[in-house]
Amino acid sequence: MRLFIVPLLAAIAAAQSPVDPARVERLLERAVVIDLHSDTTQMILEEGFNLAEAHDYGQVDIPRMRRGRVSAVFLASCPNSRRLTGLESVRRGLEEMDAIRREVRRHPKDLALATTAGEILAARKQGRIAVLTGLEGGHIIDSSLAVLRTFFDLGARYMTLAHFSNTPWADSSNQPPKSNGLTAFGREVVGEMNRLGMMVDISHVSDKTFYDALEASSAPVIASHSSCRFYSSHPRNLSDDMLRALAKKGGVVHINYFNPYLDEKFREGAREVIAFSGPRTGPERRKANAERLARLGRVPFSRLLDHFQHAVKVAGADHVGLGSDFDGVSDQLPEGMEDISKTPNLVRGLMERGFSDDEILKILGGNTLRVMHEVEKAARR
Amino acid sequence: MLLPVLALAAAAAVTPERVERLMRQAVVVDLHCDTTQLIVDEGYNLGERYSYAQVDIPRMREGGVSGIFLSIYTSPRRLTPAQAMRQALVQIDAVRREIRRHAKDLAPAVTAAEVLAARKQGRIAVLMGVEGGHMIDSSLAILRTYFELGARYLTLTHGSNTPWADSSGDKPAHNGLTDFGREVVREMNRLGMMVDISHVSDKTFYDALDTSAAPVIASHSSCRKFSPHARNMTDEMLRALGKKGGVVHINYYNGFLDGDFESRYNALKGEQAREDQLHKLFPNDPRRRVAEQRKLDARRTAKLGRVPLSRLLDHFEHAAKVAGIDHVGLGSDFDGVNDQLPEGMEDISKIPNLVRGLMERGFSDADILKILGGNTIRVMRDVERAATR
Repeated sequence: MRLFIVPLLAAIAAAQSPVDPARVERLLERAVVIDLHSDTTQMILEEGFNLAEAHDYGQVDIPRMRRGRVSAVFLASCPNSRRLTGLESVRRGLEEMDAIRREVRRHPKDLALATTAGEILAARKQGRIAVLTGLEGGHIIDSSLAVLRTFFDLGARYMTLAHFSNTPWADSSNQPPKSNGLTAFGREVVGEMNRLGMMVDISHVSDKTFYDALEASSAPVIASHSSCRFYSSHPRNLSDDMLRALAKKGGVVHINYFNPYLDEKFREGAREVIAFSGPRTGPERRKANAERLARLGRVPFSRLLDHFQHAVKVAGADHVGLGSDFDGVSDQLPEGMEDISKTPNLVRGLMERGFSDDEILKILGGNTLRVMHEVEKAARR
Repeated sequence: MLLPVLALAAAAAVTPERVERLMRQAVVVDLHCDTTQLIVDEGYNLGERYSYAQVDIPRMREGGVSGIFLSIYTSPRRLTPAQAMRQALVQIDAVRREIRRHAKDLAPAVTAAEVLAARKQGRIAVLMGVEGGHMIDSSLAILRTYFELGARYLTLTHGSNTPWADSSGDKPAHNGLTDFGREVVREMNRLGMMVDISHVSDKTFYDALDTSAAPVIASHSSCRKFSPHARNMTDEMLRALGKKGGVVHINYYNGFLDGDFESRYNALKGEQAREDQLHKLFPNDPRRRVAEQRKLDARRTAKLGRVPLSRLLDHFEHAAKVAGIDHVGLGSDFDGVNDQLPEGMEDISKIPNLVRGLMERGFSDADILKILGGNTIRVMRDVERAATR
């Protein structure tokens, strides 16, 4: 009898924890890890942040990306939609894209500029981290398809249709609706993005804009950095119905790690962070971030896992990815996911929750590669 | 004994066969055409043959053109620098789309080697130059953006001073190039972008020459000897440009070719006033504005006539004499000079006339090949090699 019970107990123990570190390591060696959204661009441009150095602040640099086994990161170009005119946003966007290109070219051994799924895999083979760019906010095109194409030519491979402000053609989740979703021109923008092979990103947009974009797009659509409304009712998050609709379209929701989007109890913190009117980078900003973090604390890691688990349950394992929002959330990040080096924690956590290796590989980057490939195939340039 | 001598004389004689032979050999590169404006303003289609304007694929084929720089031009007077930047992006996008639309005939190019490669494929290379430093809105990042998008020269100013360089069309404000202006020039050197001194003040010209680590070009300027216009170059400037290894690309605008023409042109006050009004009259109807402009241009041509081709030849001959045969090229300014062009050089199909004319003036085939494009290919290579990206 005793002999019979021991293996059973062992099996139960294996299913819960601890996970064999060798299994984590093996999986990380195979994985293509892609983060769809980091805002490190602002620090590169404004304070000469050098990606090659290890920093004790911020969340993304080469040493930490290496430890996090990152294959590719999308750096966002994100002119402040509430402080700049459309025209000023174009100019700022070009400067941000320039800063990204220069920073990547400055570290050719470690980094490679990339625009396609194929180029991500090629960079990985060379032992380099692929850097791609996304445009965070449709205001950056100043209502011009020519400017949209210019950003595509400069390498941008997704555009978030709106940021914290409504554009003249798309409503944001952060403001009272003005266009009831997408205008006719907004649909043209989506059509042109499809034609170019640029991913349509519905993070930040209003629910109506989300459904309009899904309907207008001929290719799968992504959420570059959004979490589940199930755990935090913030309008930036996706409802279960939205998760299902995105998946049905073949898209991928890339989970955002910002504490207020992860947990209802932290939700109010978002207002404070988003309304912060000081500088976007620099020591003054970091001091304010640290003070806030000390006051509010961090969301437990298990809550981040809840979002991955919920998104997989509702949208499906083929439709979930990573969209950290590192360096864009004033350091308000969960315990155990303080920066981009912590990918192994996520892998271990997902294993503990019973995810298979295949499922974890999809979440880490496999799904993103697939959706990129599909958007590229749908292009008619 | 007589036969070889006769053969030599025959080789130097001007025959249609010699013109034809040279045209087949030549790499013909025009450094400055403003056709971009027509593409943006009225949906001008380079694939069609037009009875107006100066540049389209059929006429480029007749002119034996291998490479053409389409200019990215915005008015520094009507637009703020930021608006000019946005409009420059719209124009670059329009050029890129127009090239893709005619992929059999046109090829995008950014280097000398790509011009030659396109020629081998039987395609015309299309390059871009940004005509006016105001379009970088005093930002090296925007300058690099234009380079990234394919532009391979920047004219430091257009007709107005920028915050960092004086123009020949404005009162001096900086005594040439400011420190930031020198930084712009050095950044262009680093990138491998040609520094273009057409339109700048004489002092800016010398400052740019002094600052640049690479040869400098005039993309579309003629000789002040024949027309005292400030846009033209003095003999001293021609010599300095030649010494630096640069190339002056001769502008065909009648007013720059001939001082007398320029005086008569400026005396047509009614036409000038009308032209100044066109942008106000048709602010949102560029097609109509361009059509009205063409009527106005035709009226001017009827009143003023055209400068004879011999005067254009004078400029090539003079520039070759003063700057050196290795330092002269083509910078027509087609579609940018209100159709005020010399007899026999009414559009880009007329390059054989230039070849014949230069032969008649005693230029050797080798010299003519340099002027048509050889010098430009060389200066492009020199600037590419000097880049330290």
